[in-house]
Amino acid sequence: MIFKGILNGCSTNIASQAEELNAFIGQHLRSVDTTGSTIIFYSREDQKNALLGLTPTASVQLVRITRYQPENILEAIKTLEKEDRTELYVFPSGFEGSEIAVRLAFRLKGSSLVQVKQIQCSNEKLIAKKAVYASHVLASFQLTKKPYCVSLAKGGTDSQPIVKQDRMTVTELDMTHLHQDRFIKDSQSTPFKPARDLTRARFLVIGGNGIHSHENTQKLQRIAESIGADFGVSRPVAMHVWAPMHRLIGVSGAMTKADICLVAGVSGAAAFYAGIEKSKFIVAINKDIRAPIVKSADVAIIDDYKAVMNELYRIFHENKDTRFGEENETF
Amino acid sequence: MNILVCFKTVPDLEMLDDQDWVIDKNHQIDTSFLKPSLDIYDESALEIALTLLDASEKVKVPIELNALTIDGPGATPVLKTLKALRFKRVVRIDSQDDLRFKPRAIASVLTQYVRKQAPQDVLLLGRQTSVSENAKTHLLTAEMLGWPCITQVAGIELVDRSHLTVTSQVDEAWLQQRIQTPCVLSVGDAPNTYMRVPTLKDRMHHGKRPVETLSIGDFQLPEETEKLIDLEVTRHARPGILIQGETPEKKARKLYEVYLKERLQLL
Repeated sequence: MIFKGILNGCSTNIASQAEELNAFIGQHLRSVDTTGSTIIFYSREDQKNALLGLTPTASVQLVRITRYQPENILEAIKTLEKEDRTELYVFPSGFEGSEIAVRLAFRLKGSSLVQVKQIQCSNEKLIAKKAVYASHVLASFQLTKKPYCVSLAKGGTDSQPIVKQDRMTVTELDMTHLHQDRFIKDSQSTPFKPARDLTRARFLVIGGNGIHSHENTQKLQRIAESIGADFGVSRPVAMHVWAPMHRLIGVSGAMTKADICLVAGVSGAAAFYAGIEKSKFIVAINKDIRAPIVKSADVAIIDDYKAVMNELYRIFHENKDTRFGEENETF
Repeated sequence: MNILVCFKTVPDLEMLDDQDWVIDKNHQIDTSFLKPSLDIYDESALEIALTLLDASEKVKVPIELNALTIDGPGATPVLKTLKALRFKRVVRIDSQDDLRFKPRAIASVLTQYVRKQAPQDVLLLGRQTSVSENAKTHLLTAEMLGWPCITQVAGIELVDRSHLTVTSQVDEAWLQQRIQTPCVLSVGDAPNTYMRVPTLKDRMHHGKRPVETLSIGDFQLPEETEKLIDLEVTRHARPGILIQGETPEKKARKLYEVYLKERLQLL
């Protein structure tokens, strides 16, 4: 099987893309008769050396483009495809990877699957598994036409740090002439407010729809931060704009793996739970004993989250584990 | 500007108990006893379309909002609600077929509808439904139509008869682009887009107009290039030990002393 991993070197998360791809290749593509290479798209000349340290394969193509716009990437890969017969394209998790996987497969008359967790491949066929039914069910699909184009599921594999290759084959291509995006007349990008990377949080407090208001969300965040935890929210909280999108936990947001994860007022929908299932210890605080999160937690308190969090704040303060000293941050 | 919102009703899967998750030999899970409701991303797409209609008079760009679903008669209450909310054409393509994992077939039906029956300038879809999680229909539709596509859309503003300003989420940023129609727009997590409820007056005035019904048999369905071969229920059980106590404060103290104190020291 000849495969290619595709990385977006224009993105700030290129390192995590590379580690994710490295882990996936290690788990699924090293044990069979495979030949792999990596294509890294980039836009700035000064990035090149750093990018070479982020390739999971010994063979890499550095492709320079003006900006990472899907239409340009599709055209670039199609152009490269004329030179060889790639059987499997692997894209990182995230929005762009899924988009390009599906559209590329369509244009090359192949088959595609997005948010893939595992694959089993032979020269004859590829079987890929992904979550369906709001993450309650794992589905297996057989992809029937080459090239197979898959994007990875967020958190589907643990990331694997890159070990720089001793002998690398590097080819470079300039595709800055591509302008397939003429339907876009102008654009501007606004980065999310910088926040701690919730995927690396070790102690996490998460608020759900049961916290009921923007004011309560802010109070819970202050308590979380005062007891040394990072703060995240479930989808309904972000949708109500009680908290910004970059605090979202779950398949739409961060896939976390905290040592301690304390969830308050969260029902525990499977799409949310997928974002905390790798936590070592989960505490649920919920008024409803029938909420799915109760059975999915290690321990649960069936009670009002406000009173429980207030008391936890006091306990941390007694033990001088709080950051805000005498300031009253409770409900 | 003609805008078609393609949507799907889905069962509320969180209402299923553990014992309800049974997969039969046809790879089906019985959800027939659950009331169908709008998929969360499709709901956002519909509300975003309604905000465009609200804005159309102010910017003097006439808009015709249309909605389409491929579904059985169970979707009718939602379709009537959309009528009441001033969607002009509300179409149900009747299908009792199992199209859960057939995004290519669905995209092909949408493409044929737009090409042959009702030309549109913008197609608006949710990014994926909770049941199938294909996350492909919008992309395949764009490819089949030969239109550009923007994904993870969170907001749209009208510029003029052939241009929109689209706000979408990309990795770690919001991207605002002024684009030319036609285009396919796929709605992702869009804050503040719960769909409005029509007034009783609107229900009486507009909600009783008939819903157009077409048959899936009138459309050609291509073969899928990905075949479902197995479904397997994922279980997430942990001990779920209930911390007992007379008051929430006592429970919190027990939580800290028994379960957190030692773990916190290891952080």
